[in-house]
Amino acid sequence: MQVLIEMKDIIKVFPPNVVAVDQVSTDFRKGEIHAIVGENGAGKSTLMKVLYGLEQFNHGDILFQGQPVRFQDPGEAIAHGIGMVHQEILLIPQYTVWENIVLGAEPVNFLGVIDRQQARKLVQQKVDEFQFNLKIDDKVDDISVAAAQKVEILKLLYRNVSVLILDEPTAVLTPQEIPQLFNELRRLRDHGHTILFISHHLEEVLALSDRITVMRKGKKIATVQSSETTKENLAQMMVGRTVLFQSLREKSIPGAETFVVKDLTYIDGTLHKRLEQINFRICEGEIVGIAGVEGNGQFELVNSIMGLNKITQGQIKVTGIDITQAEILDRRRFISFVSQNRGKMGAAVHASILENVMMTHHRLNPHFTKWNGLLLNDNYARQFTHQIEEQFSVVMDRMDNPFRSLSGGNQQKVILGRELLLDTPFVLLDQPTRGLDVGSIEYVHELILKMKEQKRAILLISADLEELFRIADRILVLHRGMIVADLPTEKTDIEQVGYLMLEGKENDAKETN
Amino acid sequence: MQRKLISGIVGILIALLIGALIMLFQGYNPLQTYAALFNFSLFGLYPLATTLRNSVPLILTGLSASVAFASGPINLGQPGQLLMGALFATVGGLYLDLPAFLLIPVLILLSMLGGALWSGIAALLRKWFNMDEFITTLMLNMIADFFTYWAISYPFFDRNAYSPMTPQINTKAWLPIWGEFNSNVIVMILAFVVIYFVFNRLTAGYEWRITGQNSLFSRLGGVKIDKNYVTVMLVTGALAGLAGGLVVMAGPHRFLKGLGANYAWDGVMIAVVANNGLIGTLLYGLFFSALQTGSLGMELITAVPKEFIQVIQAITVLVIVAGRGYLDIFLDKTLARRKARERTT
Amino acid sequence: MNIITGLINGMISGATPILLAALGGTFTFYAGIFNIAMEGMMLGGAFFAVLGSYYFDSWLIGIICAILGSLLMAAIFIFFAVTLKTDEFVTGIALNLFALGATTYMLRQIFNVKGAFSNPGIVPIPRIHIPFVSQIPIVGEILSGQNLIVYITVLIVMISAFLIFRTRFGLRLRAAGYNAPSLDSSGVSSAKIRTWSLIICGILCGLAGAFLSLGYVTLFSENMSAGRGWISLAAVILVNGNPWGIALISLLFGFTDGLGLLLQQYMPSQFTSMVPYVATLIALYFYSIQARKRKT
Repeated sequence: MQVLIEMKDIIKVFPPNVVAVDQVSTDFRKGEIHAIVGENGAGKSTLMKVLYGLEQFNHGDILFQGQPVRFQDPGEAIAHGIGMVHQEILLIPQYTVWENIVLGAEPVNFLGVIDRQQARKLVQQKVDEFQFNLKIDDKVDDISVAAAQKVEILKLLYRNVSVLILDEPTAVLTPQEIPQLFNELRRLRDHGHTILFISHHLEEVLALSDRITVMRKGKKIATVQSSETTKENLAQMMVGRTVLFQSLREKSIPGAETFVVKDLTYIDGTLHKRLEQINFRICEGEIVGIAGVEGNGQFELVNSIMGLNKITQGQIKVTGIDITQAEILDRRRFISFVSQNRGKMGAAVHASILENVMMTHHRLNPHFTKWNGLLLNDNYARQFTHQIEEQFSVVMDRMDNPFRSLSGGNQQKVILGRELLLDTPFVLLDQPTRGLDVGSIEYVHELILKMKEQKRAILLISADLEELFRIADRILVLHRGMIVADLPTEKTDIEQVGYLMLEGKENDAKETN
Repeated sequence: MQRKLISGIVGILIALLIGALIMLFQGYNPLQTYAALFNFSLFGLYPLATTLRNSVPLILTGLSASVAFASGPINLGQPGQLLMGALFATVGGLYLDLPAFLLIPVLILLSMLGGALWSGIAALLRKWFNMDEFITTLMLNMIADFFTYWAISYPFFDRNAYSPMTPQINTKAWLPIWGEFNSNVIVMILAFVVIYFVFNRLTAGYEWRITGQNSLFSRLGGVKIDKNYVTVMLVTGALAGLAGGLVVMAGPHRFLKGLGANYAWDGVMIAVVANNGLIGTLLYGLFFSALQTGSLGMELITAVPKEFIQVIQAITVLVIVAGRGYLDIFLDKTLARRKARERTT
Repeated sequence: MNIITGLINGMISGATPILLAALGGTFTFYAGIFNIAMEGMMLGGAFFAVLGSYYFDSWLIGIICAILGSLLMAAIFIFFAVTLKTDEFVTGIALNLFALGATTYMLRQIFNVKGAFSNPGIVPIPRIHIPFVSQIPIVGEILSGQNLIVYITVLIVMISAFLIFRTRFGLRLRAAGYNAPSLDSSGVSSAKIRTWSLIICGILCGLAGAFLSLGYVTLFSENMSAGRGWISLAAVILVNGNPWGIALISLLFGFTDGLGLLLQQYMPSQFTSMVPYVATLIALYFYSIQARKRKT
């Protein structure tokens, strides 16, 4: 097959000194599906952004059809027929499907007026040509994530790109939606398109791609034919050591009931029912996982438990104490909370590490203040930060440095340390491993299990089913604001949970088979 | 800290250089002009004392803006709060008769009350009706401007005067002057020490700072951000009000029309160049005061009109603000380029 | 009858500068810029309008100078906020200070006066008398005889609505505000769109300034924009940027302006001068109540 794109010795340094891509050379051929795999932070996305002109590389060459190119912005890449679908959906929710698709390449009449008829016609043609099941007049805000992803792909096809870069497209899809996407991608390949596909899910990669490039810590490890490799082999190249895909669950006897949510209903300002009749209990020493497609009420559930939402109905109790109407500070006496968004909810990134560690403790632990809570006790806070540094093996320079100077893994360790040392009976973990590398994920899982040993009740919300199956004792499935299933982990499997996440009910067809 | 100091000094030098170029372009002698400017503001006991005295309202309104911005509320109402503080102190000084050691603290408290009252209105509008303080404080500025104008034109008008102003306040309320030095500086330094301590050492100050950086994080951490919001608005309003009270008590000893005009945006300006740092606010306040104080002398000696100082001030703000952002990006980029080169060799 | 036509004419001339600046602000609002520099742009425009009109004996050159002066302010904003990526709020504050300082200085330097410059040599922008229409009683007094800028403003409201909602530029402009990375990824530079929005804002604020100093009155005085830039910002926020809404709300503000003048017979002028600012607060109150209803 003909080589279409060649990347030679590419180096990309993120200011000031993070080497994201380190002398990577690889090539992509016309009409292949080429996967790029690696852990979080291995540099796969950066390499593709460099190709797409979103990031500028510091050194090296890119050849496109034998000609050296250097795209200053995505517009130039698109003009050469290279398009990229990003990990997060990059559409404008306020616009319709067709408006999103034509944006940047709008057909116009005189005076720059958009030719709506022509635009809708062209978009509809593309929808039909590639058999995408989309209504072009729907507002993007109202369509599913899977549909939005199709819009992204169609947006590129509308511009007649021949190379499609997809950054972790399956991350936002349910297990049932993935095969459909793969069929669409195969169809595109058969049309002669080249597909570059970023992922860290090895099964998917093996199922879909023709060739695979493995990256680790910014370097390319190898490019292999997928027919000539195995999952274990890829995993070893990816992580640099053998990885055991095994469950960490241990049989345990749950103790007394610690956390109870009863008949919780939440109706938001737009009068939408976001949560409906939520009921569950967590015992001490039990990890309960919540699975669900993003946007099915997880956010509202977290906010209701933490007291950011005023719930419409229901009751929340910790160790028998009703906290439904309690102020946030009073809730924090019972709840440790790790949010999915470190920068927004978990820390003040420009403040010092020390100042981030003190939060909440400064009101709940009298050692942190003097003069009846009026004056801060700096010495104690420093001692405490040291304790976290040691106990959670945080790599930090000085505790007066800004929080954001820490790496992602270390940031999460500091947050976990702060929250766990609150010594609360209940722990709420909202996607605690999001955006972490494999090493850090393992560490976080170990910590969660340690909390379980300490007899705490743990609620783990996760978009990663493998994570839930690895450590949770029970899995609740959240679908359109309702809990549609409550399953002991050992009595279910990923397929069943995936189907429930998508459809909100059991797969009857499967049972009759 | 060192980096801030260097970038501040470099910024000021660049701004003065740009100012010099403008002067050259207009046929003035920049060296002579700057010499006159700083002769009349820094060199000598009297100039220095005047600069210090004039710096008081600048630094206090600057502190008001800095503390507010660093804690979250965008309180742009220093001009109005200053006027209300000045009015309260003036009215108190007109009608109260107490010994000086009582009257002065009472008027100081009254001025702070006036400022806090005015910022308190904005705080309540936000608390009750969720109205953005950055527009309400601006509108309240205009309203305070007209309100105090009315107050000195009608109810508290000095019948012997030809333009709107109040009579002089009780002489016991005049701040003592020692030689060249006005004691308003002492009050300012006291206020600075207190607010610095509150902001950096108290639990409340810690909560304000973190809320200013990330209010959602603070809220989840158990900080009562609504309550703190009101407190910060009241405290910063009181600081601006204090500035107004001191202007009256240290200077003309009465409320004249246009009293606050000179300090209209200076507080916000100083907070912006100081990046809401308290020590920075103090230093830049002194610098801008030196510029303003020396401008009269400059106009006297050279033909450069004193309004030129306003241009220099604005250029300083632009240069320092842009430099602060750009210097970091530039340094980071240079480091990145060097690192990339290391990899290839 | 005279009171009513006077009130309406007062409303129109009070509304015009706010409306023009707010329309400028709405372009930057849609482009996702927190632009608080309308005040400074307007002030710069007002000064240069007088400068051009006085030295060239021509109101047309006055208008052109106003636009150029305001564009200079916009250029500084673009350089700082778009190119150097300085904080928009801080840039706006600094720019407003710069406009105030520079115009005060130039007033002193060029015209050798303090406070205000008025001179018979300043040529005002003419009023347009429409034949036949001016003959109609009452209506004629309102539709005809307005300042040229007033008619231009009406045109600009329509053009703005058309540009923002019907054209390619508008689609991209709104996209820049809704989701800039999405626009960038579509191959259109959001920085470029933002730059254009600021240029348009500069032009419109320049016109607003020209109306202030060559239409509303014929003079330039220190800080003569007097918070109108801020009121226009409030207007943009109140109607979420819709040009027709802005027209309506500006007329409302203009009305309070005229009302203030009328009320002067009954109370001290200091209180009547407060009316537009109090009106802004009241409008914000209703907006917030509405916004809260939508939310909870």
